[in-house]
Amino acid sequence: MSAEILELAGGKSPDAKLGGDRDGAAKITPRPALLAGYWNLTELRYDYPLVLVADDTGVSPVRSLTAVIDGVLREIAPRGAEGEAARKHVLGIEREIRGLLSADAGGTLSELWGRAKNTLLARAEGAAADVLKENLDRARSALAYDGEMVDCGAETADTLIEHIWKAVQADKIRRLRGKIEILALRLSDILKADAMQSAEARDAESLERSVGTSFRDSFDFEAMSRLLIEAPAGDPLPEERRRRIGDALSVLDSQKFFAPWDGGEDTETYTFLFDSCAAAAEAFQARVAEMVALVKAISIAELEVENGYRESKHDPLFSGFDENALSPEDIASFPSYLVRLSAGRCEPAEKAHLIELLSSDLPVKILARSDDLLEGLSGKRFSFGAGMSDLASLALGQNNAYVLQSTASHLYQLRDRIVDGLTCPGPALFSVFSGSAGSNPDLPPYLVAAAAMEARAFPAFTYDPAAGADWAARFEVTGNPQAEADWPTHRLSYADQDLQTIAQDFAFTFVDFVACDPRYAQCFEPVPADGSDAALVPVSEFIDPEAEQAAEAVPYVMLLEDGGLVRKAVVDGRLIRAARRCRERWRSLQELGGIDNSHARNLLASARQAWEDEKERELAVLKGRPVEEPEAPTAEPAPAEAEAPIEEAPEEVLEEPAGDDPYIETPRCTTCDECTEINNAMFAYDDNRQAYIANPDGGTYREMVEAAESCQVAIIHPGKPRNPNEPGLEELIQRAESFM
Amino acid sequence: MTDPIPQCVFRAEDERYTLADYQGEEPRWCTGCGDNAILAAVQRLCRDEQLPPERTVFVSGIGCSSRFPHYMNGYGFHGIHGRSLPVAEGIKMARPDLHVFVSTGDGDCCSIGTAHWIHAIRYNMDMTVMLHDNRVYGLTKMQVSPTSPQGLQTKTTPRGAYLEPLNPLTVTLGVANASFVAQAVDWIPELMHDIIESAFHHKGFSFIRVLQRCPEFLPDMFEPWVQDPAKTLLLVHEDGLQPSPSLSKTYKNQEAHDPADLTRAREIASVEDPIPVGILYRNDDMPRYEEIRPTDRSYTPDTIKGALEAELDKFTIAPANGGEDEDTAKP
Ligand SMILES: Cc1ncc(C[n+]2csc(CCOP(=O)(O)OP(=O)(O)O)c2C)c(N)n1
Ligand code: SF4
Ligand code: SF4
Repeated sequence: MSAEILELAGGKSPDAKLGGDRDGAAKITPRPALLAGYWNLTELRYDYPLVLVADDTGVSPVRSLTAVIDGVLREIAPRGAEGEAARKHVLGIEREIRGLLSADAGGTLSELWGRAKNTLLARAEGAAADVLKENLDRARSALAYDGEMVDCGAETADTLIEHIWKAVQADKIRRLRGKIEILALRLSDILKADAMQSAEARDAESLERSVGTSFRDSFDFEAMSRLLIEAPAGDPLPEERRRRIGDALSVLDSQKFFAPWDGGEDTETYTFLFDSCAAAAEAFQARVAEMVALVKAISIAELEVENGYRESKHDPLFSGFDENALSPEDIASFPSYLVRLSAGRCEPAEKAHLIELLSSDLPVKILARSDDLLEGLSGKRFSFGAGMSDLASLALGQNNAYVLQSTASHLYQLRDRIVDGLTCPGPALFSVFSGSAGSNPDLPPYLVAAAAMEARAFPAFTYDPAAGADWAARFEVTGNPQAEADWPTHRLSYADQDLQTIAQDFAFTFVDFVACDPRYAQCFEPVPADGSDAALVPVSEFIDPEAEQAAEAVPYVMLLEDGGLVRKAVVDGRLIRAARRCRERWRSLQELGGIDNSHARNLLASARQAWEDEKERELAVLKGRPVEEPEAPTAEPAPAEAEAPIEEAPEEVLEEPAGDDPYIETPRCTTCDECTEINNAMFAYDDNRQAYIANPDGGTYREMVEAAESCQVAIIHPGKPRNPNEPGLEELIQRAESFM
Repeated sequence: MTDPIPQCVFRAEDERYTLADYQGEEPRWCTGCGDNAILAAVQRLCRDEQLPPERTVFVSGIGCSSRFPHYMNGYGFHGIHGRSLPVAEGIKMARPDLHVFVSTGDGDCCSIGTAHWIHAIRYNMDMTVMLHDNRVYGLTKMQVSPTSPQGLQTKTTPRGAYLEPLNPLTVTLGVANASFVAQAVDWIPELMHDIIESAFHHKGFSFIRVLQRCPEFLPDMFEPWVQDPAKTLLLVHEDGLQPSPSLSKTYKNQEAHDPADLTRAREIASVEDPIPVGILYRNDDMPRYEEIRPTDRSYTPDTIKGALEAELDKFTIAPANGGEDEDTAKP
């Protein structure tokens, strides 16, 4: 349980009274005294219930009721006295909704809101009812979220993770569908454009068909056809390309991984929700060929729409395109599989499938739920951590899958991590303890789950292989209360027989968690009120390997009996052994998560030792002989740099052949066609479509001069005549003067 | 999906585009027409940028200048008079991946198409717009245009044009969201190329007014400016044009103008002589309509049909009694 809850529960000290006389043989229903403040959860504001937000944007698929209501309060209830009435009313309806949900009512937030509002209004009278109604209506319109509500119970993890998975899936499908739709559209455009160029498309009949009925009579389709057939058309698509595009299109159109568009018929598409790893693996295998075909079609389509398909290069590649050609990114772009294992034991065959999936690249998300952590304790072997609850540690061993372990009580806090696990491309395992085995009818599952987390019986951790290369980056134990410590400690205050309030810190250990469960009542022996408790030590101290223990020490735990009395109880030795194992497990998790890591500790110790040795040596040296000053550098001043003559940037010189050859200032040519029209052997365009003199002897001097005269930007320079025998040269030379 | 071919293989084998890859039909403009120079500059740009021809669209209205798309090898839309811009906007909206170029005449843009022009500036969609301004209607054989100088005798104004001409630069600079405004002249190809290049790289509506010679009908219109470089004011700036030293030798009349300075841009734009040439204004941060209102999905025939049917279903007339007694229900 979080510090927040403790705080909320606090303030009403003492929590309980120390038990008085009682015949020791009577059976008790034990509960850990540390949980005393949390019995009535509907009175507390905590993470549950949750609103599974009903929109498919996948942005924030889940909200806690508390957060939603806080949002409303921020909007309509100003701080201070002014907003007091509204705040009271809104918190009142929140409490009412919690009550409805814990009484097993289901529904969406808006439905429950309506019911809660009616109940509250029925209780109010007169003017007070009017104010209440007004406040609740204002609050209702400020509600930013709606969706199904879930309380913490057996099915919570299943419902919550399926909900988030659906949001993530919808987003993924939207992207893949968008891509496929656009590719299909472009491919069919290519085919359509080709068809429209064909002779058939241009004959009178199909032209007539392409015009609606209304204006059919206004056209002469025969004439239109004659004209169009004469118009130039591009080359038809090569047969091979047409076939390739057609094939790709039909694969894109017939895929069954998701409905073709929002709101389309969804009868034929595959399901991705399974209840066993074997079934999911089998389904994946059965669809692999179709997946390969679709990826291939998409790759071909992507090349085709860019006009980038080269048969010599791509044909061999695609002819050998099979399962091995699928990249992890390809697979990840397809919908992911969600496997919800039923609570209880995991059969060996199923476990083998699970391990196989977790060590694969496949986008399979597995939810393993445990309802009972203490099942094994009651058996002869007195082992705990059997069944499904150890799957997460098993998955860690694969080093490949995303792993999240948490109790149901902490799922909301870990919602972003759940999203991470569901969006990551590869496999993921979510191992969740629900707290709902129902062994203690008095305790809500939320409390049992929170107690398991608190007692390190089911700590929270995440392992994200994509987060970095080492454990420090990948593994986290955050989310656990007082994660630095062996056990979280809390203050318990109670009144003793003389009605003196006693406040004492206790660790909440594995033993406290077991004390929640009436099946193990016989493991606790209440200490008579008048008995001597000199030898009693709290469990945490008793099993602390670093603490000194008196030989006659006896471990005890603080229990709460019926009637609200606290009493010390001596703990069964087998439970103590289990608690030790539990602490060992927690310590290894801490180490993995970087808390008090033994390797780091050793390294630090040896580094410190080395440093101290070094210092010692230095000290010895210092004492032995005088300190030598390091030699001061005697660098000579650098010779002043000779002033570099400022060099003028060489100007770009326009080529102006001074001789008698004709030339054009090509960069200034405006492509006006004047000179090329006069003589296109003499004048031609270069790569930039600007004119140059291609052949000075390709025409007469007269043409040269005329071109110079027609060039509007006057960039043609005719030079001297090349053929001295050309008639009329004298006059031409004179005209050419102004272009020299 | 992942590209099965390493990129380098693609590169090595892929041929480079040459100018010829962008040439469409043989131009039928008059010899000496300034449109030729604009065409050459655009073809050079496509070649320099190595734009795949199938990624380019040339849109125009009606006029001599609007024959432009025929002469380019790419997608073309020779539209209707004055409507090149709405067509171009539709294309950009549906296919933001295409490079859209618009050629429009002074009649096409500033007369019949004015409303579209003003709003296209506001929409600021990414396209390169060239206003071929020859100050006359060429295709209809010398009718007056909104940019014809006052007093110009034309077929439709035998006594001379009555009104002061409209200045496309000041108009554009006065519209909200204007993001790129430049002026080029067809007779300085180097600058025309540089301006079209900057316009192409600007994300948004890049408007270039090109003063374009029409030797057929107005052979003397720009002669004084062609002949006397002092009558041209080059706008130079490190964020604008940087003319080559040899060009600067001829065109010595220069002003350092920061294209971010809108007020100065408006002042420069309103001067008719000397003619300013260069980038008057550029703002890369203007919102673009295709980004504000992107289509997040493709509209396949199926989705369109589905959406239409859903829409029409809203008008289905349900029997008043909830369908229990169909026979008596009246539409
Ligand atoms: C709706 C409509 N009105 C009138 C015309 C006739 N028309 C054809 S081109 C043109 C003017 C073209 O002038 P401009 O846009 O300056 O282009 P230029 O030919 O000068 O390049 C006109 C009025 C037409 N084609 N359609
Ligand atoms: S006449 Fe002058 S401007 Fe025209 S194409 Fe020839 S060189 Fe170029
Ligand atoms: S009439 Fe004028 S604008 Fe039209 S093609 Fe000829 S020169 Fe160019």
